[in-house]
Amino acid sequence: MSDMKEAESAGEEEKDWAEAKAFFDSLKSKKPRPPKPRYAVTIAVSSRTLFDMTSERKIFKQQGLEKYAVMSVNARLRALYPDSEELFDIVLMTNNHAQVGVRLINSINHYDLTIERFCMTGGKSPIGYLKAYMTNLYLSKDSKKVQEAIGEGIAAAIMFTPDMEVELSDTQLRVAFDGDAVLFSDESEIIVKQHGLDTFFEHEKRFENKPLAQGPLKCFLEALGKLQRKFYAKNERLNCPIRTYLVTARSAASSGARVLKTLRSWGLEIDEALFLAGAPKGPLLQKIRPHIFFDDQMFHIEGAMELGTISAHVPYGIGQKYNRGKLIEENPQKQ
Amino acid sequence: MNTDDDVKQKDPSRAVVIAISHDAVFDLKEEQEPKAPAAASGVLNPGPGFPFVKAVQRVNEKLVEKNPNETLLFDVILLSSKDRPKSQSEVANSIKHYGLEITRLCFCNNENFTSVLRSNKVKLFLSTNTDYITKAQDTGVPAALLYGQRGTATLDQLRVLFIGDSLGFSEDTTDRPKDEDTGEDQLQSVQLTQSSLEDLVALIGEMRRKFGRENSPLCACLMTVCSPRNVCVRALKRLRAWGLEVDEAFCLAGAPQSRLLAHIQPHILYDHGLQYTLDVPALS
Repeated sequence: MSDMKEAESAGEEEKDWAEAKAFFDSLKSKKPRPPKPRYAVTIAVSSRTLFDMTSERKIFKQQGLEKYAVMSVNARLRALYPDSEELFDIVLMTNNHAQVGVRLINSINHYDLTIERFCMTGGKSPIGYLKAYMTNLYLSKDSKKVQEAIGEGIAAAIMFTPDMEVELSDTQLRVAFDGDAVLFSDESEIIVKQHGLDTFFEHEKRFENKPLAQGPLKCFLEALGKLQRKFYAKNERLNCPIRTYLVTARSAASSGARVLKTLRSWGLEIDEALFLAGAPKGPLLQKIRPHIFFDDQMFHIEGAMELGTISAHVPYGIGQKYNRGKLIEENPQKQ
Repeated sequence: MNTDDDVKQKDPSRAVVIAISHDAVFDLKEEQEPKAPAAASGVLNPGPGFPFVKAVQRVNEKLVEKNPNETLLFDVILLSSKDRPKSQSEVANSIKHYGLEITRLCFCNNENFTSVLRSNKVKLFLSTNTDYITKAQDTGVPAALLYGQRGTATLDQLRVLFIGDSLGFSEDTTDRPKDEDTGEDQLQSVQLTQSSLEDLVALIGEMRRKFGRENSPLCACLMTVCSPRNVCVRALKRLRAWGLEVDEAFCLAGAPQSRLLAHIQPHILYDHGLQYTLDVPALS
């Protein structure tokens, strides 16, 4: 975008924002006003991730806790920084026709969720709208839409909800990420799949100091880090209501260093880095109890869900062509 | 007033008359360097309102396809200023050249254009000029902004966007701003054009209902710019009560509108009092 257009649109944005601020500030109902999208961490959710239409109460309880944790973070941020726009913002992004979508707002009202912004596309693809709403993360149950979003450079994942109910914190938002093909590109995973583990270890050791390329969720981690630093700045590191975890199949000894160095080179922190050296992720996640766990491989998603972790599949990279370590045959009859 | 004999006149009791200024439909900047070579000699280049006219035509075609005797059709008339005889013939030529279904060419000037609107029973006035839009609205004629960036508007579907912040106001809820004065002014202003707006919305709704949810040549959208979600919902329900079920709804609550508008690409944008869209790029 040319400098002039950038300045023009920034001016318009300022005006739109000032109007809304004035409006919300003058409301009798004292509703918290939604933050300025340019500075906010915007999470767009589809209708089905917000409300499971069939088993509303149970799913809501799972999803709702996530939202309550998010709201709790916002409340603490507002207390520490009353004038800041760096907050979470949840936007309902639905394909539904507006007349159907309106019922969702009734549910939002009923559960008193702090979701002010919505987009009912009447059947059109949400992808362009995601950008218009400055979305930092898109969660949906529709894999096609999620893939499209990732293709457009938007952090996105397919939500899965476990059958088990697990108690989650409503004061600390915990987010767990897989490493390769989620925070980082799938370049190393390609080596494992095509050349085996030994080559992978050698490669990672040799290129330890060369940062990995970024993956689809790197920017979301970055956005979380931005909010975390606001708590650190006010001496709230120990009590920080956002905690991030790296849960990777890599092993610390042979291939962990590169990952940590990459994060450092990006200026990003992760609170806990857990190297499983190939062990199953489910039991560890069960201990951590994250509100959401991102992984690119369905195998890990399934394992996580079996033990009650809410998981989100990131359909990115070479992992999509494999199932449990075996290449998925495109044409089964080919010998 | 000129009538084009080749274009079938619409039933005045049922037609939805839309008036649009001729310099919005065609690019009349003959004095300046032409941006693109003229389509043919004596023919003008399309202007920002051109895609609107084409999209409206398609709606009419589809309506007539469903019912050859359909009387509820759009009737587009052009408003032209008296004092440029050269451009008058160019406009007439251009209408023919592009095959535009324009039934009348009405002459007026800045002073009498609102009475011309009334005498032609215009239900909606379109312009890129915000002063004219406000003038028309103040005299009770619904008026909307032609929106669009050249070359990108679709011709396949007529997209109408309503800004719902003033439509969603209600007397006795906590979602009204404390400042009573602005609230009162807005309500009064809306009431003036209210009955003609209701009329227009009902007709568009009736047309919309003749098509299914998918593949409709007509699409209605609602957007609230700075209000909370319940104002958007109330605006949606109000439009529904007047007879129009909108297809798409967007609640911005302060998020920047220009990006979203660029994606929605409406042909026309109805904002009563132009309170929320003063800086909308109507042209680019």
